[in-house]
Amino acid sequence: MSTFSGLTAAASGLAAARRGMDVVGQNIANQTTEGYTRQRVTTHAVAAIAQAGRFSTGAVPGQGVAVDGIARLGDALRDARVRDTLAASGFWSTRAVATTTAETALAEPTSDGLAARLSAFWAGWQDLANTPDSGAAAAVVLDSAQELTVRLADGYRKVAAQWSQARATVDRTVSQINTAADQIADLNRQIRDAVASGRTANELVDQRGLLAQSVARMAGGRATVEADGTLTVRIDGNALVSGVDARHLVASGPTSVDSAGRVSVAWQDAGFPVAVADGELGGTLAVLAPAADGGPLAQLAEAYNGVAATLAARVNTQHRAGATASRAPGADFFSIAATGPAALGLGVVPTSAADLALAAPGAGAFDATNADALSQLGIGPGSPDAVWADQVLRFGVSTGADVQRARLSESAAVAAASAQQSVAAVDGDEETVSLVTYQAAYQASARVLSAIDEALDVLINKTGIVGR
Amino acid sequence: MISRVTASAMTQSAMRHLQANLTQLSRLQEQATSQRAFTNPSDDPAAAATALQVHAQQQRNDQYARNIDDGMAWVTTVDSAISSSTSLLRRARDLTVQGANDGALDSTAKESIAVELEGIRDELLAQANTSLLGRSVFAGTSDAGVAFDAAFGYTGAPGSQVVRRVSDGVTVRVDADGSAVFGTGAGSVFALLDSVVADLRSGTNVGSHLTAIDQRMTAMLGAQGAVGARQSQIERAKEAAVDNSVSLEARRAAVEDVDSVEVLVRLQAQELVYRSALAVTGRVLQPSLMDFLR
Repeated sequence: MSTFSGLTAAASGLAAARRGMDVVGQNIANQTTEGYTRQRVTTHAVAAIAQAGRFSTGAVPGQGVAVDGIARLGDALRDARVRDTLAASGFWSTRAVATTTAETALAEPTSDGLAARLSAFWAGWQDLANTPDSGAAAAVVLDSAQELTVRLADGYRKVAAQWSQARATVDRTVSQINTAADQIADLNRQIRDAVASGRTANELVDQRGLLAQSVARMAGGRATVEADGTLTVRIDGNALVSGVDARHLVASGPTSVDSAGRVSVAWQDAGFPVAVADGELGGTLAVLAPAADGGPLAQLAEAYNGVAATLAARVNTQHRAGATASRAPGADFFSIAATGPAALGLGVVPTSAADLALAAPGAGAFDATNADALSQLGIGPGSPDAVWADQVLRFGVSTGADVQRARLSESAAVAAASAQQSVAAVDGDEETVSLVTYQAAYQASARVLSAIDEALDVLINKTGIVGR
Repeated sequence: MISRVTASAMTQSAMRHLQANLTQLSRLQEQATSQRAFTNPSDDPAAAATALQVHAQQQRNDQYARNIDDGMAWVTTVDSAISSSTSLLRRARDLTVQGANDGALDSTAKESIAVELEGIRDELLAQANTSLLGRSVFAGTSDAGVAFDAAFGYTGAPGSQVVRRVSDGVTVRVDADGSAVFGTGAGSVFALLDSVVADLRSGTNVGSHLTAIDQRMTAMLGAQGAVGARQSQIERAKEAAVDNSVSLEARRAAVEDVDSVEVLVRLQAQELVYRSALAVTGRVLQPSLMDFLR
């Protein structure tokens, strides 16, 4: 055993305490950094030098302390749970935001809604039935019919605009996912190199964790850490990022709500489709789905078309059954454009009171039987009003369900994030305690050093000078 | 360690709870200021569906009330025209009875009766052509302008009716058939009076016309009775419409409006919760170990 081994042990204690204080400093500095996971110096006691030979040199203490590395106190399981819950919450919150936006645009049940316009239209016919000779009542009917067509077209356009915005969001989200995949692959390379050469890569792992979270929020999927430290991200069973390679997604499909087909996402290189059922991208794709597949916006657009078609068919049939003041048979009241959505192509044919078929055929000039019959078209099952009320009810119920699920998945995501943070977050009190501990350890090591120094001083300088 | 608590986790959960409290507070404030129980159908789909239905019914009920007022104007006009006509006809009958006293009346007296009868005929014709807002009430759905022309021909559309819808599925006739009340052409009350006048002037006894006058009177009274019955039907419909509007408004309010007192109490309670959450958060987030070292 060397004379100076005590000094070496004390010096290692000093170094370890210094390293400890440095790490505490890093923790405190990053207390509010997003995605930062707290770190801790890991040490082990160095054992005594192995003794060879048959003669023991007696009991020998250890050789001090060695710094193993800087551990990152994250929990892979909790990170995975955060990603899972974020995927669900991304899906439902995207859906809920889209449906509540569309619902607000409905403006039901207020006086600005379509139902109120329909009621006003029917009431106009009643007033006209009371005073078939009044040009004012006829003008009111024609005006309210015009207003009704404008309201239908306006409602349809709002839905179509929201659909187009969501479609643009798909392209944007796909390019964000591609960028994140590239970044994860790059970080994978750096982390693999660092791990291979024994450097710490904690901060890089934190950054990669954040990116993996944002990919999960955008597209769902699964992420697993491989033995070499790289992270593999899979979407729909196929790797988005594997090792240092990233693959890209590409979106395709119709660009407006009235075109057929569905918006889909595929792998850029292989070309086969990806079923994205989670995350914001999955939510947006669900919102954009065709009406037959339950897409809420397409269903709403279809409801506007349905109301327009029913309205035109019913009013036209009844209007043709009547006669105008000049005893000519009634013509169509509403016209529908041959192409394009019915809600946008609805027009009012009559231009003046003379074109309105108010009377029953063969009755007097002031007969208003047909106007009365027209006013009653809004009542009963199958009427445009009933079709619309049914749609509002169904849309309200499904929106309510979406909002409820969004709330549930959001609280699950919050709980998962809290669980993650309870392990990974930096606590000021804890770091203060560590700091004080390392400081005391440093001081104590220094004291050990000076004690040994003094002892050696006695041995070297004061030995053998007795009686001199 | 199952749950390690850190200052940042506490800050975040405090923020989240404050946010939740504030959301609840803003929702209650919106209810209190807008006085609407829900803003979107998804808040309460069943209530929204009821509200849509009630709104449509209210609009229809308002329309029926307007129809009823309009119909009431028609039947009262018809009724007063017929009752004026019956009293005119009664006077004409008295004059005819008077004119039938051949022995007691000289030709001058008969002439004066004839002149008065001519006046009554003109007045009757005016009553028969009574109009309301430009429409002849005895002409049915015709647009001829007058119900009876100068030759006493009835211009109305035969068999036509003017009706008003007073509730879902119920219509009431609001006019009277002029040809039934006054007769047409040679068979009309005007032609009858003309023939009385002619007989008075030619010296023929007019007593034979009394039967015809009585028949016409019976026809007029019959028509008036029918109009009266329809008038009371319209009055009942009006009462029903008023009752309906009250009950529909009550239903609408029950579905759409908030209970102001309840919302205010809940708002106060929520405000208290929010304030105490703020106070507690302020106390909890301050201390750290740093404060107690040295």
